[in-house]
Amino acid sequence: MAEPVLEVHDLHVTFSTENGPVPAVDGIDFAVAPGQTLAIVGESGSGKSVSSSAVMGLLPSNADVTGEVLLDGRQLAGLPNDELRKIRGNDIAMVFQDALSALNPYYSVGWQVAEAYRLHHDVPKKVARRRAVEMLDKVGIPDAARRADSYPHEFSGGMRQRVVIAMALVNDPRVLIADEPTTALDVTVQAQIMRLLDDVQDEFGTALILISHDLGVVAEVADDVLVMYAGRAAERGTVRDLFFRAAHPYSLGLLGAMPRVDVPPKPRLTTIPGTPPGPGSITTGCPFQPRCAYTHLVGERCITERPELTPRPGEGDHEAACHLGRRPEVIL
Amino acid sequence: MPDLVWFLIRRLFGALLVMLALSLAVYLIFYAIPADPAHLACGKPCTPDRLEQARHFMQLDQSTLQQYLNFLKGIVAGRTFGDGTAAVHCNAPCFGYSFPLARPVTTLITDRLPITASIALGAAVLWLLFGVSLGVIAALNRGRILDRLAVGVALAGVSTPSFLLGLLAILVFGFWLNMVPVNGYVPLTESPVDWAWHLVTPWIVLAILQAASYIRLTRSQMLEELNLDYITTARAKGAGEARVVLTHGLRGVLVPVITLFGLDLGGLLGGAILTEKVFSMQGLGDLLISAVGQLDVAVVVGVTLFSAFLIILANLVVDIVHGVLDPRVSHG
Repeated sequence: MAEPVLEVHDLHVTFSTENGPVPAVDGIDFAVAPGQTLAIVGESGSGKSVSSSAVMGLLPSNADVTGEVLLDGRQLAGLPNDELRKIRGNDIAMVFQDALSALNPYYSVGWQVAEAYRLHHDVPKKVARRRAVEMLDKVGIPDAARRADSYPHEFSGGMRQRVVIAMALVNDPRVLIADEPTTALDVTVQAQIMRLLDDVQDEFGTALILISHDLGVVAEVADDVLVMYAGRAAERGTVRDLFFRAAHPYSLGLLGAMPRVDVPPKPRLTTIPGTPPGPGSITTGCPFQPRCAYTHLVGERCITERPELTPRPGEGDHEAACHLGRRPEVIL
Repeated sequence: MPDLVWFLIRRLFGALLVMLALSLAVYLIFYAIPADPAHLACGKPCTPDRLEQARHFMQLDQSTLQQYLNFLKGIVAGRTFGDGTAAVHCNAPCFGYSFPLARPVTTLITDRLPITASIALGAAVLWLLFGVSLGVIAALNRGRILDRLAVGVALAGVSTPSFLLGLLAILVFGFWLNMVPVNGYVPLTESPVDWAWHLVTPWIVLAILQAASYIRLTRSQMLEELNLDYITTARAKGAGEARVVLTHGLRGVLVPVITLFGLDLGGLLGGAILTEKVFSMQGLGDLLISAVGQLDVAVVVGVTLFSAFLIILANLVVDIVHGVLDPRVSHG
């Protein structure tokens, strides 16, 4: 892999609440290189969005972040807000899930894209506006010069997401974090938006962190995948490692839950039984143990000992955190 | 823009209907009260003959409906009471004639309005500034000492009767500290400095009383606003905290604040009765109270209708301002 632009080592995020500290992210590592796409996959509450917000320094003040967040080798975690502000939107930009709520309803989209540019470039409004129109045009807004004066509610969902992407890319960021960028969109529009992200990534060499629970999207665009469960890494590897050599029962469960067109449909969609543990409720053992179909093959160890990431066969750095040393046979 | 023109035409037409219905209601209420203005005009001793004369002169011997129609006609064409040398003219737009004060109601209102408007507008500027800034400060310091302080001021403000605060202010700043005039009014055209100097105490007193609801409204709206996704977007773009709050947060807060402000100001322009009384200012409120005391029904009806007109006008202005502040509001 090329030299990573963003590296995260041993990231911990703990929220202090009235009921004591609640760990949301419990020691994860990832890295992404220019032009590469890392997908972070997991259920709601697995800590994937918290991780990306931690990278951006966007967590509320009751969040305690430790670990290393390195942008080109420069530590970001713990930087004063004023320093982080210069990086946010400039070196690392973000695309949010719901473009309608992510855009300010009171300002025109052109103004909002231009604002993102002016926050990091000392240029006259006119220049920023020209840049905004250029960006809107690049992400495929038809008649961008005129549409720049329209307000978010005057756009369709797909066009709004294009605006959000234009706003994120206006400063040529090194890293783009897309937090479920297509969840709120129709399937056909989803494909257009993913293609757009792919295109701009090729053009600018942006490193993309794609947060998603849509394995179909992940299979298509990701180079590497990190599967998160209950604030920890369950498995990581290349996209082929995950899809062809998944080593963690949770990853297998996710793959099994994905509807497929190449096998005869089952009467019901497959699910992973049970629900994820609440944050902080599992202190020893494997967090996935209560829902795991393979735990009887290992026994007591799953409850008493927390599994660490260990190397698995695959391309390069394939790792999984499971006591079951071999690849689990598909039961279902 | 034609949308707005049509909107205005429709709203003005609606306002006219409301005013008409209102004038009928007000007229009927005040003429149904068992008191005879003619009796007061006729003086003592009052012979049945002279009473009948007065009644005829004041056109009170006609049916209630006829009197109402005369009133409406007077607005368009003016009215004349009596005939010959004793005739009294009331030029259009004639909203009634005050026999005790021997002046047309229209003139009485236009004479007193500058005083009430001076009090109301000055106070309005103060309470809007104080209320919104304190509300923003409270929201940004939620749960901390500044927040408690602002909310405490707000609570004290709503709970204090205006006559108490007004009298205390006169006692302390007027008599003890001898800083400001105790009462009286100087027209703006005569001496702007004296005008402001005489008004500063009522302004502050009214502002303290009114600011309370603005502190609370701004605080709660801002807290809600700061949780919205587009605020996170603004931070992710690299906006500083001041910009996040003032440019992205405040805009949404202003919409409900302006609504309240318009209605409060409209109401106050109809006469700040207690405040005018306490500071011995002869504004509309003072005119209304004296008229009630003297059973001067024409003035009571006139001032009541004028206040209602101001409320309707304020509503219209608020609706137009909404369209300017919030692009999602359509006047179509």
